[in-house]
Amino acid sequence: MSRRILVLGADGFIGRRVVSALAASSWALPVAAGRRSIPSQDGGIDRIRLDATDAKAMRQALSGMDGVVNCVGGGAETMVLAARQIFGMTNQSGPTVVHLSSMAVYGPASGDVDEDQPLQGGTGPYADAKVECERLAAGYPRSVVLRPGCVYGPGGSQWSERIARLLVARRIGELGAGGDGIANLVHVNDVGAAVLSAWRRTECWGRAYNLTQASPPTWNDYFFDYARALGAVPIRRLSGRRIAIAARLLAPPVKLAEIAAGLVGLGGLIPPPIPPSLARLWRQEIRLLSDRAECDLGLRWTDLHRGLAETASWVASRLG
Amino acid sequence: MIIDAFDLPEGHVLAADVCIVGGGAVGLSMALHLIGSGLDVLLLEAGGLDVETDTQALYRGEVADETMHSPLDRYRERRLGGSTTTWGGRSMPFDPIDFEVRDYMPHSGWPIGREDLDPYFPEANRLCEAGRFLYTVEEAFDTPRQPMMPGFDSAIFTTNTLERFSCPTDFGRRYRHKLEAARNLRVILHANVTAVGLNPEATVVERLTARTLKGRQIGIRARQVVLANGGLESTRLLLASRDVMDKGIGNGHDILGRYYMCHVAGTIGAIQFNRPVWNGYDIADEGTYCRRRIAIRPDMQRRHRTGNIIARLHHPRITDPGHGSGVLSMLYLARMFIPYEYGKRLHGGVKLGLGTQVRHAVNVVLDSPNTIGFLWHLLRDRRLAERKFPSIIVRSKRHLHSLDFHAEQEPNPESRVTLSDQRDALGLPRLRVDWRYTRGDVESVSRFLELLAGEIAATGVGRFEYDPETVEREMTRYGAYGGHHIGTARMGVSPRTSVVDPDCRVHGIANLYLAGPAVFPTSSQANPTLTAIALSLRLAAHLRRRASARPAGFDATEGSPS
Repeated sequence: MSRRILVLGADGFIGRRVVSALAASSWALPVAAGRRSIPSQDGGIDRIRLDATDAKAMRQALSGMDGVVNCVGGGAETMVLAARQIFGMTNQSGPTVVHLSSMAVYGPASGDVDEDQPLQGGTGPYADAKVECERLAAGYPRSVVLRPGCVYGPGGSQWSERIARLLVARRIGELGAGGDGIANLVHVNDVGAAVLSAWRRTECWGRAYNLTQASPPTWNDYFFDYARALGAVPIRRLSGRRIAIAARLLAPPVKLAEIAAGLVGLGGLIPPPIPPSLARLWRQEIRLLSDRAECDLGLRWTDLHRGLAETASWVASRLG
Repeated sequence: MIIDAFDLPEGHVLAADVCIVGGGAVGLSMALHLIGSGLDVLLLEAGGLDVETDTQALYRGEVADETMHSPLDRYRERRLGGSTTTWGGRSMPFDPIDFEVRDYMPHSGWPIGREDLDPYFPEANRLCEAGRFLYTVEEAFDTPRQPMMPGFDSAIFTTNTLERFSCPTDFGRRYRHKLEAARNLRVILHANVTAVGLNPEATVVERLTARTLKGRQIGIRARQVVLANGGLESTRLLLASRDVMDKGIGNGHDILGRYYMCHVAGTIGAIQFNRPVWNGYDIADEGTYCRRRIAIRPDMQRRHRTGNIIARLHHPRITDPGHGSGVLSMLYLARMFIPYEYGKRLHGGVKLGLGTQVRHAVNVVLDSPNTIGFLWHLLRDRRLAERKFPSIIVRSKRHLHSLDFHAEQEPNPESRVTLSDQRDALGLPRLRVDWRYTRGDVESVSRFLELLAGEIAATGVGRFEYDPETVEREMTRYGAYGGHHIGTARMGVSPRTSVVDPDCRVHGIANLYLAGPAVFPTSSQANPTLTAIALSLRLAAHLRRRASARPAGFDATEGSPS
């Protein structure tokens, strides 16, 4: 029997992949919900427009659903409000929820980090919101929490297109100590596979899973491998001072220019900013351990070089 | 965690699973490798974070012939990062032939082979930030590069091997954040180890004594002790620790301090090529500078009984204004701004008369477009660049070059370091260096040059002219190649002919190891740093394995006398 599964945040990078993975399965009927979606029915996918922070609309949407996948992104407030609607369901036989959290819940932790590490956030509103969402999820028994690292792959703006643009412009490269952090990368297809697997295994309820490929590279290594895939070599060695200037002084005006350019349809012309949080992440030597996901969810990670090659060709088509 | 010994109480005792003495390339590589190992690691660094004159002065010593060896406080830096704070960054692995017993090379042969180090070289390259462990132009580049010497197709020499360069990375600065963050590692600054204390049976190191220049003394107990304080300093410390073994630790057979090697190097002759050649750098994908050189094939070394030698196409000697190059003349005129370690082989401290200086000035003026271009290149690619252009490259419009060679030295027991009668500020005897080269060294380089001249002529690429009578003079013009301190605690299977065993452990002492080029039995054509790091990573792996079988009865209590 087919299961109706509501995917919230279905227009986002991860949401899109989850919807198509569900649609490709033999057992799921995905209902793709997004704040700006255009309602349609196409290829077995119901698309609906839904504001996940709207209590009334959410109640209606959730009725009759067998499952929910929460991929709501955006601002911190939106994520928390949406989580309140989802996990506020008191019905113990309500839908199974797969909640997409983030490695950001571990805050500034370093070293090897498994799922039992205390959640601390504290690195900004996004991380704090993700911690709050998980707190809400913990009160709902039929939920599974997925904590992906940096999700990359064709279609990804954050860890694929933005990094590619910075590499091609030689604004990042070999960063020395500034790139010694661990790039806990996970291919978007692996996140899709994790969602499907988590939803089907009742023994996973109430548990959390880190999602990152085994033996993740450092950011320096990632930048080098990705630059090679993009043909953006030789890479450039950049000083810590240069990255600090880009992050502390240039990021705010560049961000404003990016927003302004986006409004007039010239978004692609402005180089992406390097916010201080990003520069900080590139230094953070946190290694997510994902053995539990491999074991319980039966995941096999996409080979990084293969993933980067297909991502690079997608980016090439984007950048022309 | 980084601690200053100045902040520790007098008489404080520290305990650790592994104590590494020395925070240079070798010691830091080992410490970094042991982060997260579960072992409690202590690294004792004699200096601080920056240059300190009084600390640096502890390196001073005597040199038997000052024309043959640089002062002992040069090319060595007593501070966190060690001599990587000043190195040129050439990161080269020893070749497989260097490990072999060669009947024409006295005292040659390592008890381990290159294959024993191969698993550790990629990580060594990574620590040096010298790119991938790929050392031929075909492996390192996806697309063909222009040949170094077009038409030079020789059965005796190759031109496809690469020299790779580090940024050059200052290990102390680059990896400080890791040292600070590591939970199982304590780096103690200003801790000058002055004694290695053995048990009465001379089988185990029981205690190290470290002192600061402010008179404080601390004690260290460790299950395993690694001396990684440089080729010369580790030898000095062993020679000076004589309370239980009267000739010094590991010196039962008078081997310690002998077989001291640097490299013999020089610039000679003139090669007139018929066509343009490529003597510049190629940049690998990872941004590292790579440069090709002329190397004699291993089978030809055996056939012609030469040591391992390489050569590079070089610019003419800069002191002679006859070269007509504004760039070279400017380098001579600006010599006071060039650090000693680099100036030595550039201008050699030669003082020229006023007339010659004027000719240099004329070169600068007449060749001003090139000179200005070079200054811009120097500013952009060296001064301001994080990955620095490694050396001075001057293109010759006339395809005229000199030959710069860098050669292996024969291990020679008469080339040695001993303790002098002088003592440093901490009471440790100073070192006396008596570096020697041999007739065999001169003959080896001479054969190399003769073969090369023959091949250049035979392949029709040009003409190499040099005066064979000047070989010895040129290879010793600046004395031993500075900064390479090799062989004084050589590795071998027998205590009669060596100081350490194949695991780098001092013969007869259960828990004392030496890491660094002092243990190399031969010197290769290659600069020693990269191979010393690879060997130290192998040692770190060995210590990890040994730690799983910890001896009982170790007292791990720390504290100060009440």
